[in-house]
Amino acid sequence: MDAHPILSTIARVLHEEGLEAVLVGNAAAALHGAPVTTVDFDFLYRKTPANLRKLKAVAKALDATLLRPCYPASDLFRLMRDQDLLQLDFMGRIDGVRSIVGLRNRASRVNLGDHELLVASLVDIIRSKRAAGRPRDKAVLEILEKALHEKTQAPPHKA
Amino acid sequence: MKKRKRRLTKHEALKLETERALLEQIRRHLALPMEKRTHFLRKRIGFQASCL
Repeated sequence: MDAHPILSTIARVLHEEGLEAVLVGNAAAALHGAPVTTVDFDFLYRKTPANLRKLKAVAKALDATLLRPCYPASDLFRLMRDQDLLQLDFMGRIDGVRSIVGLRNRASRVNLGDHELLVASLVDIIRSKRAAGRPRDKAVLEILEKALHEKTQAPPHKA
Repeated sequence: MKKRKRRLTKHEALKLETERALLEQIRRHLALPMEKRTHFLRKRIGFQASCL
C-alpha cells in the first residue's frame, strides 16, 4: 500500500502543531530504499510537557486516539485511528541512539507535498535495531545492511 | 589435468538467485527519489493479519 498520502498528512500535521519528530524504524528504512514493510510509523521525539501537549493536538488533528499501551514499563505514546487502523508510535528514546539532536542532524529531509519529514539515517536505524536485538529487528538487519552498502556504492539520486 | 567445475546444488543456486533478486530490488528502489519509495505500508486486517 502506498504510504505517500498518509506520510504527507503526518508531515503537514506535525508542521502545523510544531512537533519535531524524526521518523525511525522500518518506515524510515524503506524510504532509504530497503525492501522492508511495516504496519506503523515510529517516531523519536523529545519528551517534554510542551511536546506532550503538541502530541495531543496531533492526535486530535489526525482524528486518532492517544494511548499508552506499555505504561508504566515504557514511555511509548501510540496514536491509533480506528477508521483505517493507522498507527503512529512516539518514543522518547530508542536503543542505540544517545540523543535526538545527533539523530536529527544526521537525518534526511524528505519533501512530501508542501511539508518536509525528518527521516533518520540508515546508519542510525541499523545501529538502533542492532542495539534492540529483538528477533524481528535481527530479521531485517541483513537487508538493511545490504541496502546501506548499495546506497554507499550508488551515485546520489538526482532530483 | 584440468579440474572440473562443480555444479551448484539446488540450494546454492536458489540462495544466489535470492541474493541477486534482493540486490536488484534495492537498486530499483535507490533509482527512485526518496519521496517515491513509499510502497511499504502493510494494511491491517482484523487483529493479527496484514497485507500490502
